Amino acid sequence: MDFSFPKEYQLFRRMVRDFAENEVKPLAKAVDREHRVPFETVKKAAALGLMGVPFPQKYGGMGGGEMGYCIMMEELGRICTSTATVIGAHTGIAAMSIYLDGTEEQKQKFLVPLASGRLIGAFGLTEAQAGSDAAAIKTTAVRDGNHFVLNGAKVFITNGDIAGIMTAMAVTDPSLGAYGGITAFIVETDTPGFSIGSLENKMGIRGSSTAECVFQDVRVPKENVLGQFGAGFLTFMKSLDIGRASLGAACLGGAQAAMEGCMEWTMAREQFGVPVATKQSVYFMIADMAAEIEALRSIIYRTAWLIDTHQPHIKEAAICKLYGSEVASRCIHKAVQIHGALGYSRDYWVERAYRDARIAEIFEGTNEIQRIVLASNLFRPYGLRIPS
Amino acid sequence: MKIIVLIKQVLDPAGILIRRDKEKMFINREEYIVGPDSKAALEAALQLKDAGGAEVIALSLGKPRADDALREALAMGCDAAYLLNDEAFAAADVPVTATVLAAAIQKLGGADLVVAGRESGDTGAGQIGSRLAEALSYAQVTDIHALTGVPGAIQATRRWGGGYAAVQALLPAVVTVAPEAFPARYAHGARIMNAYREWQVTTWNASDLGLNDAALKPLLVFRGESFPQPLPVGEQVKGAPASAAHELITALKLQKAIG
Repeated sequence: MDFSFPKEYQLFRRMVRDFAENEVKPLAKAVDREHRVPFETVKKAAALGLMGVPFPQKYGGMGGGEMGYCIMMEELGRICTSTATVIGAHTGIAAMSIYLDGTEEQKQKFLVPLASGRLIGAFGLTEAQAGSDAAAIKTTAVRDGNHFVLNGAKVFITNGDIAGIMTAMAVTDPSLGAYGGITAFIVETDTPGFSIGSLENKMGIRGSSTAECVFQDVRVPKENVLGQFGAGFLTFMKSLDIGRASLGAACLGGAQAAMEGCMEWTMAREQFGVPVATKQSVYFMIADMAAEIEALRSIIYRTAWLIDTHQPHIKEAAICKLYGSEVASRCIHKAVQIHGALGYSRDYWVERAYRDARIAEIFEGTNEIQRIVLASNLFRPYGLRIPS
Repeated sequence: MKIIVLIKQVLDPAGILIRRDKEKMFINREEYIVGPDSKAALEAALQLKDAGGAEVIALSLGKPRADDALREALAMGCDAAYLLNDEAFAAADVPVTATVLAAAIQKLGGADLVVAGRESGDTGAGQIGSRLAEALSYAQVTDIHALTGVPGAIQATRRWGGGYAAVQALLPAVVTVAPEAFPARYAHGARIMNAYREWQVTTWNASDLGLNDAALKPLLVFRGESFPQPLPVGEQVKGAPASAAHELITALKLQKAIG
């Protein structure tokens, strides 16, 4: 067993870390405060291949696989959760769904501009009545000649208002249910009838946009059916499975940043005549962070390896997301405590990190859904079915 | 234009802890990086490539691990990379290093322009550029802050007294660059992957370069090392950041250090 990163990944991590420190960090506070997407960073990231890290170079990607993608998400998550969210939703689920199930023509037409960062992607699954119960979507797609006509609305769509391409799930046969009755489509967002409803005013990740996307008689050519007709639910679930590993990687970065920040602060901050880092009540908290962070790092990169070597990874990816988001939340919760009143101040990064961390327990499948995924996979070999 | 960039791999100073009280340097994390001056040299060369097209070759004398530094140079945009490695180079001082580099450059058929950093991040002798120019009989311009190519020559701005001088040098030439003037670009992610998966670093040893023991005999003899004296602490400005900055600016203006 060799746990060392191949050298190209070591160099890649150094590059992304420099990029995050020098280009992402200076904007992190402002984009949160001003509630705006850091387009200037996205443009710079695209120029370095960072909008298509996991995909092969023949599709405009960087050729870094899931390993490279998790490394980037860890390094971005360490500096700015908003930026990680914009690039993560674009790459990890939107472009990923086309990479996984798109035809060669679809990959050339849609994945290439996404992976090279010329267009931003969004992943259209959630609806007002279909969150955890993703199969309960109401958006419909009705065949009309060489087109499908989409009607309905998606909510809480990351990048929804800035995307050029959205992969969207719609009901094509209500009688067949999730498996058979739902189809995935690639929607170009300049198609007439596609519009943006409300934008969410969120607690955290305010440097990313979250939009309501409305489909009103949106005509999508039949060539844009993504994956097999009627198998859209599977396409979307496969994309989410992979997305969970990288989401966990971003959480790993957030947790790491919390620990590093606490170490720096507690070595400098003196109370009772000594650095507070020498107080057991403080260093126990930091030691607990370190233990959880290392455990998280192990599962993240092992899962990335499973994905890159085409091995089963659903259970592990669910652990990445579940454990990652909770480790990040626990570390940042402690970081606020360690920083005291400073950690509660809006002028300091800790408060932003605290708000940013919370979403990871919710989006891309709540942690409760992850526990269902995990339990289903644990009990299935014994013939026991876990109901959703 | 054919440009050869000299690359030196150095220990990452971020992993070093210097304990003045113990007069010791502790290596907490032994990692090697492309020296900041070499990175600036690479950037200067790649800017010429971007501006008018050039073949940029990275060249390093170093241990086998310097392969990583050269692959980083490839990732940043170099077209080829050569590592000069031999047990016989292990004791190379500055004159020997210049001899070895000159032999390699001649084996490569010479260059229009050789770009190096002003000084390396570890030994910091700052002599390689000048010695190499002498060895190759090339023109030399040191400590440059701006660089452009014109037909048959380069134009550069270099530090001159308290200001700068604009100079022109006929090719072939050696230039050394001021690291602060050429902040290095990020390598493209795909090039990083390709640098290890697709591209090669060519290694040459002493016999490949036709160098015998006599040519590799160092001039310098190592007698020992000692910790430098601490620098005297100058005038210190203390207080709240805003008032301290104001006071500092006033003091610098009084000394005509700033306008």
